[in-house]
Amino acid sequence: MPILTFMQYLMLSLALAVSVATGVQADTAPSAPIQSAAKAASHSTADHSKFDILKKPFASGPEVTRACLSCHTEAAKQVQKTKHWTWEFMNPSTQQRLGKKHVINNFCTAVPSNYEFCTACHVGYGWKDNNFDFTAQDNVDCLVCHDTTGNYRKLPGLAGHPTYKDVEFPPQSGKIVKAPDLGDVARKVGKSSRANCGACHFYGGGGDAVKHGDLDSSMRDPSKYLDIHMAYDGLNFTCGTCHATAGHDVPGSRYAPTASDDEPGTHMRGKKHANPATCQACHGARPHPAKQAKLNDHTDKIACQTCHIPEYARGGVPTKMSWDWSTAGKLDQDGKPFKLKDSGGHDAYDSKKGDFKYEDNVIPEYVWFNGTVNYTLRDTQLDPTQVIRINHFEGSPDDGKSKIWPIKRFTGKQPYDTVTNTLLIPHTYGKDDSSYWSNFNWDKALATGMREAGGTFSGKFAFVSTEMSWPITHMVAPKADALTCQQCHGDNGRLDQVPGLYMPGRDANPWLDKIGWSIVLLTLLGVIAHGGLRIVMARKGERQ
Amino acid sequence: MLKALAGFVVGIVVVALAGWMMMPRLMFSERVSPFGMEETVARIQHNIQNTGNGWALSGLRNPARAVQSDGGNVLPVLMIEACSTDYSKPILKEDTVRFLSILMPCKISVYKKNDGKVYIGTMNAGLMGQMFGPLVGEVMGKVAIDQKKFLEFDPSTPAPPMILPTAPAAGGGGQSSGGGC
Repeated sequence: MPILTFMQYLMLSLALAVSVATGVQADTAPSAPIQSAAKAASHSTADHSKFDILKKPFASGPEVTRACLSCHTEAAKQVQKTKHWTWEFMNPSTQQRLGKKHVINNFCTAVPSNYEFCTACHVGYGWKDNNFDFTAQDNVDCLVCHDTTGNYRKLPGLAGHPTYKDVEFPPQSGKIVKAPDLGDVARKVGKSSRANCGACHFYGGGGDAVKHGDLDSSMRDPSKYLDIHMAYDGLNFTCGTCHATAGHDVPGSRYAPTASDDEPGTHMRGKKHANPATCQACHGARPHPAKQAKLNDHTDKIACQTCHIPEYARGGVPTKMSWDWSTAGKLDQDGKPFKLKDSGGHDAYDSKKGDFKYEDNVIPEYVWFNGTVNYTLRDTQLDPTQVIRINHFEGSPDDGKSKIWPIKRFTGKQPYDTVTNTLLIPHTYGKDDSSYWSNFNWDKALATGMREAGGTFSGKFAFVSTEMSWPITHMVAPKADALTCQQCHGDNGRLDQVPGLYMPGRDANPWLDKIGWSIVLLTLLGVIAHGGLRIVMARKGERQ
Repeated sequence: MLKALAGFVVGIVVVALAGWMMMPRLMFSERVSPFGMEETVARIQHNIQNTGNGWALSGLRNPARAVQSDGGNVLPVLMIEACSTDYSKPILKEDTVRFLSILMPCKISVYKKNDGKVYIGTMNAGLMGQMFGPLVGEVMGKVAIDQKKFLEFDPSTPAPPMILPTAPAAGGGGQSSGGGC
């Protein structure tokens, strides 16, 4: 090796430093095969495989439910009181009637007229139209939440039933979904796992990671970096560990989230009336140790999630960030619908749905939130010149109830009635002539959708820009990866867009600064003058 | 005389200090990408393939993944590796500068920062090459010209697919470059 000059050494050192810092052994191929969560040993006192009533083949889901109810006599009645069954929620603070049955979103838009498709995620069987019997107990689907085999799957288009014969799904995909052995599934039921909840909640909005941003298939068996509570090689929480369920009623709501937990310690102290799914339910209101006590001074105004979920969609599954229905309906040269992919291989365009944008490792937006969410509903008058907030997180720095929360802001364009200035419901799925995915005719799809929903449609429509907010509360990172002080308190910090904040280190009062620096300058001048005088006087004294 | 000498030494120290502080910005550059992570990577990859001069993709590394497997989080980073035998060959043939193989293959880093924007980081090949004599200076000068072409984007063209490594080599490098690097 030749003798190197100083500069050459310097350059090589820099290059080496960079290559050491980044030259780790990894590639961009999909992550290592998901490791199955270690199944906890069952402490159940019942082995369902020994129950005579389950030792037979079952032809349908309701048949299984009848067998379940022969022992669990109150289970269906309990389920039928929950949002998972009614798809309804009356918000006590806004008096808005919400729930999937009533709201319009800017993903697939709405359930009415699309029941057969959407009710794949209903905890019931047979909801295919407005005539569904919500009182029939054998319409309750026990297996979707208690299956442990992973073979029980409800496909869109079957009105909440599992497939009873092998089918190709998605159609024309060449992939076959096998009909589950219902008897086998029934004999192996158990407590709900992440996979049970995730079968719907990971796939909300029409696909993996589409809707929430903090819930996707990577959370089925997450590693520690992704979720410190649910890590299969760590605490291995299930959803139910936090969403502690009583009488089949699962606490936690996106319609009325607990923005500020005034009763910390719910889990520890067994308070039945409070939400057990908050961070404070276990960690309390001042969770940081004494050596980090300053952090506890933040907890009255900053939600735990703000610092401890630095980014969402971190599990390698990008989340959908926008959906533009206005571009749907383009057909190829043969008059057939088509799809386009983006650089990462995710859907960028679908004739049935329009244009999309996906992103992973998304830095949240931050808003003041006091727990009240106001919705734009079917009959809400809107101003089409503005971006319509499908839901609005209320809050302010001054109301004494709000905290700064991280959210996913999802944007889109969707149809509205240009005469009544209200949002419209399209009939998207169906084997009939008027469904949009069959004929790509907005007029027919909107007329049918609104008729089914009991609304009116003037016949004139356009597309309006909308946005929807989703609280980010899952994918809690290890504590070492929480936001640093600088990430908020420095220039261009995370909370720059949050109004009403005085941020030490970032914000300054110019007059206060001027006064302070003036005092510093005067002090310095005083010291110099005093020191100078002392020197001069000392020399004078020496000469004398 | 003593004062002049002291001033000279102070001058040298100040210049050296200034040089030391400016060095990172001179040797490496960073710019904001108008696209997302994957599209930025894909467009650079396709530009590399279309540049000619023997350029081939030699890998796509994801250093963030190793951090994740160690239980931690960092924002996404993807490192595109490319090599041209036209440029690597003369350097690898010359014993006095063969140690510069440590800089091969050429890397372009695409990463997200806390402001949510996607950035592209590159090495100033031209300036760096000038420090290692005329042979390396000439080669790296050509590399610098090509490197500029890698980063010329035409937003009117549709986003191309990202090129994933087909046969990860030991060490996670990705597909073979076809020789040279």
